[in-house]
Amino acid sequence: MASVKLTKVKKIYDNKVVAVHDFDLDIKDKEFVVFVGPSGCGKSTTLRMIAGLEEISEGTVEIDGVVVNDLQPKDRNIAMVFQNYALYPHMTVYDNIAFSLRLQKMPEDLIYEKVTKAAEILGITEYLMRKPRALSGGQRQRVAIGRAMVRESKVFLMDEPLSNLDAKLRNQMRAEIILLRQKLNTTFIYVTHDQTEAMTLADRIVIMKDGFIMQVGTPAECFDMPANLFVAEFIGAPKMNIIKCELLKENGRYYVTPFGAKIEVDGEKGQELARRDVKPGKILLGVRPEHITLAQQGGIPTRLEVNEMMGSELHLHVYTEDETRLIVRVPTIGLTNEQRKGMTYGSALNITFEGKVMHFFDPETEKNMLCD
Amino acid sequence: MNYYATVNNTLEFIKENALIVGIIAAFCVVAITVGMWKVFQKAGKHPWMAVIPFARDYTLTEIGSTGLIGVLAYVILPILGIINLNGIRYFYDLNKGASKPIYAILFVLGTIFLAIALFFHVLSSIKLSNAFEKGTGFLIGLILLPPVFLLILGLDQSKYVRSVSTSLGLKASRAISNTLIYIVLVIMAIIWLVPFVCIVLQSFRTESTWSVGYVLPKQWGFQNYVDLWNSNFKRWYLNTFIIALIVAALQTIIVLCMSYTLSRFRFKLRKGLMQFMLILGMFPGMLTMIILYRVLKDLGLTESHAVPGLVLVYIASSGMGYYVSKGFFDTIPKSLDEAARVDGATRAQVLYKIILPLAKPIVIYTILTAFMAPWGDFVFAKYVSFEDPVGMNVAVGLWKWLTPDMINQRYTMFCAGGVIVAIPVAVLFMCLQKYYVEGVTGGAVKG
Amino acid sequence: MKRYTDMEYLRLPKGRKLLYKIAAFFCAIPRALKNGALGIVRAIGNFFRSIGLEFADIFKTFVNGDWKTKLSFFVMGFGNIARGQILRGLLFLLFEAAFIFYMIFAGAKWLSMLPSLGKVGPHEVYNAVLDTHTTEYGDNSFKILLYGVLTVFFIVAFIYTWRVNIKQNKIAEQILKSGKPLKSGKDDLRSLVDDSFHRTLLALPLTGILIFTVMPIVFMILVAFTNYSGSNDGYFNSLFTWVGLENFNTVLSWNGSGGVYSATFGEVLTWTLIWAFFATFTNYFLGMFVAMMINKKGIRLKKVWRTILVLTIAIPQFISLLYVSKMFDKNGIVNGLLKDLGIIDHVIDFWGSTAHDAILPRVMVIVINIWIGIPYLMLIATGILMNIPADLYESAKIDGASGWKQFSKITLPYMLFITGPYLLTSFTGNMNNFNVIYLLTGGNPINNAASSAAGSVGYTDLLITWLFKITTTTGTKYYMASVIGILVFIVVALISLVVYNVLPSIKNEEDFQ
Repeated sequence: MASVKLTKVKKIYDNKVVAVHDFDLDIKDKEFVVFVGPSGCGKSTTLRMIAGLEEISEGTVEIDGVVVNDLQPKDRNIAMVFQNYALYPHMTVYDNIAFSLRLQKMPEDLIYEKVTKAAEILGITEYLMRKPRALSGGQRQRVAIGRAMVRESKVFLMDEPLSNLDAKLRNQMRAEIILLRQKLNTTFIYVTHDQTEAMTLADRIVIMKDGFIMQVGTPAECFDMPANLFVAEFIGAPKMNIIKCELLKENGRYYVTPFGAKIEVDGEKGQELARRDVKPGKILLGVRPEHITLAQQGGIPTRLEVNEMMGSELHLHVYTEDETRLIVRVPTIGLTNEQRKGMTYGSALNITFEGKVMHFFDPETEKNMLCD
Repeated sequence: MNYYATVNNTLEFIKENALIVGIIAAFCVVAITVGMWKVFQKAGKHPWMAVIPFARDYTLTEIGSTGLIGVLAYVILPILGIINLNGIRYFYDLNKGASKPIYAILFVLGTIFLAIALFFHVLSSIKLSNAFEKGTGFLIGLILLPPVFLLILGLDQSKYVRSVSTSLGLKASRAISNTLIYIVLVIMAIIWLVPFVCIVLQSFRTESTWSVGYVLPKQWGFQNYVDLWNSNFKRWYLNTFIIALIVAALQTIIVLCMSYTLSRFRFKLRKGLMQFMLILGMFPGMLTMIILYRVLKDLGLTESHAVPGLVLVYIASSGMGYYVSKGFFDTIPKSLDEAARVDGATRAQVLYKIILPLAKPIVIYTILTAFMAPWGDFVFAKYVSFEDPVGMNVAVGLWKWLTPDMINQRYTMFCAGGVIVAIPVAVLFMCLQKYYVEGVTGGAVKG
Repeated sequence: MKRYTDMEYLRLPKGRKLLYKIAAFFCAIPRALKNGALGIVRAIGNFFRSIGLEFADIFKTFVNGDWKTKLSFFVMGFGNIARGQILRGLLFLLFEAAFIFYMIFAGAKWLSMLPSLGKVGPHEVYNAVLDTHTTEYGDNSFKILLYGVLTVFFIVAFIYTWRVNIKQNKIAEQILKSGKPLKSGKDDLRSLVDDSFHRTLLALPLTGILIFTVMPIVFMILVAFTNYSGSNDGYFNSLFTWVGLENFNTVLSWNGSGGVYSATFGEVLTWTLIWAFFATFTNYFLGMFVAMMINKKGIRLKKVWRTILVLTIAIPQFISLLYVSKMFDKNGIVNGLLKDLGIIDHVIDFWGSTAHDAILPRVMVIVINIWIGIPYLMLIATGILMNIPADLYESAKIDGASGWKQFSKITLPYMLFITGPYLLTSFTGNMNNFNVIYLLTGGNPINNAASSAAGSVGYTDLLITWLFKITTTTGTKYYMASVIGILVFIVVALISLVVYNVLPSIKNEEDFQ
């Protein structure tokens, strides 16, 4: 139960490659923070610097107000779950979980109590005498978590713990981690490349790219108000459509011109543009697939390329007259059978969207124009 | 046997593989002709005969008047080979696409025939070269020429062989190839076992002590072993055993320290250290012997006190042999170390609680090789012990028994000693073979 | 040589492709050598640059440091003690004291004698008390050289420690300035099993290597520039001197008094290379072939075949080699059997005794080496063959590849790729394969033409066995042995340099990783 504070943390490798640039973050006690980003963005490196497995080139890491830069991992009072579980193959599950407690020279009966309690929570009691290789992926994952749990440490670090599991198991374990978090009630730092995991687990998300923090915020903030083009495309699936177009201002009202159409920016977004007195000109317009609707008439004419049936919804890959690819998410429930049958390769569809769902990005800086 | 078919085949083949055939054929033709030319010249025959096919064979027969049969046998091989290969072809052409087991039998028979012919060919070559009283180069040439020639003729026949085997179906063709492999393996097994069987048999021979031209002893007995017991051999054996034990223990520790460190720690001089040791390894180790001997001598660790000296020499530089086990350590995931360190283990605890239990195969491999090396070491042992009767190890002692002035009395005792040395080492090795294979393969893969 | 672009290369006919590859290989050799040389030059440059930086840093530390640091320049460890790191400080101080003590009482003497290697040998001295002549041992060049080298090592170690001492002062000052506490002696000790555990682990192995490998090699390199031989190693003469490059001149010059040495060296080197080539590649391909035979589907008793072959590894080599060498002796079993069978009338002298029979012994050692070597390669190849993904073969079969094509297009490239570095080490290992040659033939038959000046060199002698003979039997010309040793090193290093630099260019084309 502790706060973690990173101040201007930097990682420079021997070959002068900078993996993490001036990383500033203040993690509150009992907060669940997720580092997310594509591979090679420095998220794992940052986590490993907190754990003490990677040297900190510059800056400081504080746990509970104590600078831990020069402390060994064992002295930082942390627990960690590794991507490939890192279970000791020559020890039984019980010994694996008890390993750290034995190193602390805890009496055996206390160890027994703690290990069995953790095993019970995780539902692995019947496997305690097995070796890791006799376990399935999900069970191994649980053992790894159990091993971290019994340490009762201040900070709980998880490095892509679910990425080696298949999709179904991953969903299940994700739910279990949420439950676990409520039971443990400690500070979590979690690294993943999967934005769904980040959205579902996190109190706050830290989105990273090439060693830089792109945005820090709650899942809702990151989704509703992405700070820049990268975050906009990274968060949400399928990813946001980005359209090059003009922002016009006529009689105090703002309009955008996607593919020759002219759509008014109404609602909050329009007022915000006006409040900030945004200059008209070229912009990158972002619209999420689920915010595009099929229009009976008018709208933007497109042709269908791929129709992905997802069950409750359709993902329609369409292309406009100037060959721009867009994705549209349509709930199946709103469509008649006839309409659905008509959606084959090459069929014409008209699409439209409203002003309140638009995101505006500066084509130069790629920053959100409505966000500071 | 017709030359036109051969020429046709060769032409076809040349068309397909012009470059390789050109080089090989040119080389062979020149070599054959030049060789024969010289032979004919020396024998006083007309050298031009070497160029004309039939005349050449005839002249050869003429020269080898002492061994007419030998010459015939020599000539028989190529003829057999060509008949065999062409025979398959003609049969195949006659019965295109037909699948009859008779071809399989013919093929196997032909091949066995060929093997027999090859055997006689070697014998006849030896005979021929003896008849000519020529050097070994001549003999080797004689042995190699026809097979090389055959190979060239036979190369393009392989497609017929293959079509025969496909016409036989998968099962039959596999049976044929497996039969051939079994034949080869049995021959190999004999070649590999013969020396060891011989050494055991000769160790029980009591009628004479030096080498005789037969294998089975005429009088069996344990006299050699008794003599062995009464000689210095006991002492050498003990020396070697003590050295092997100590070296196995210490060398394993040193190698493991070195390889674990180089595999797991990233310190400043790591790369430089490894390169430095690579370069050091390029110096012949024997070079250090002169000075080591002098220093050991000054310390009084040579000749009759060679055992501690040898131990020192063997283990001192064993850090350089870290390569195989480092390769193994590299395969143990690093996240295990990291997990243990997060769990509260120091680096030293990581080593003996996590890594060592996992590295059991490589530990055993290291112990095994370290234990076996002193049994076979010859150079340092000879130099350091200076052939002192109490300071030697088994290798030097037994080697000495085979030097010209001792071999007449000691040959069968050498055989007995060899058996006594080989049995425990070989048994140990066979028991731990699994680990040895793992280590050797890993080492080669890692380079 | 004209270089083709990838597209041009693809359009070449088959034969031209092969020729182009071969040409490219040989054209790459000078470049590889150049790169290697450039690398060395660069490394030397970097070395001097870093020394310059060190000096600058030492100077700066002195100017900027406080009085404790300044004093530490002369009294090592003073700064550590003054700042409370007693343990470290005492160690430094102890080292300095030991060094000064050694230099005064021994080091200085050895060092001063190093340039001349001693002047006064053993001589008779009239002893007035006993009224006889007694031998007085004068200077001993061997000891002077040995202790001289040792002293130089000590001096280097001292300079390094002195430098570390200064660096630690600088760091300690910085740490104290930033308000953090210094590590205590207890922390230092604890870190020996944790943070700097590698130092603990490396201490013993590296000391061993330093004393038993590095020092002797340095010593022997120096010997190559002296005239140290067995005759000035005794009680009556223990002096030898520096002779500069004369020994190298004797071995490498093709005319003058060194003629025989150089011819012998050329001959032995040629045979060494031929031997290494055949010993490596015959074993490699035959071993692979045997492994493939045993591993073939449907072959039974796999374990039995393997075990029989592995016998040659399990049984100490000296037994099998000595025994086999006697089997092929003039009076050996093989000749006896051949005679009994009536195949030969006179014995075949497999190990040769006359010069014109040099070929047979050479072939014999290569053949027997195959007998010894196939099992190793069989084991290695078995391990690798099992790791070749089966789907490669499956897809090749579907593509219509025959057994031979599968071997030449999948198995062989895969093996070569994986074992490339192994081939190199086994080639250099075979160049120095003492046991097989010495135990089988002892280097015989004697090469009379070459032997007159260079000791009894035989036709099957490798450089390494020649070296051994020079050091043990004929005249013990240690200086010649070390010259040959250095030349062996140069040959091995050159081959490794070329192969390491050329190999990857070949490798990249068939990436299996």
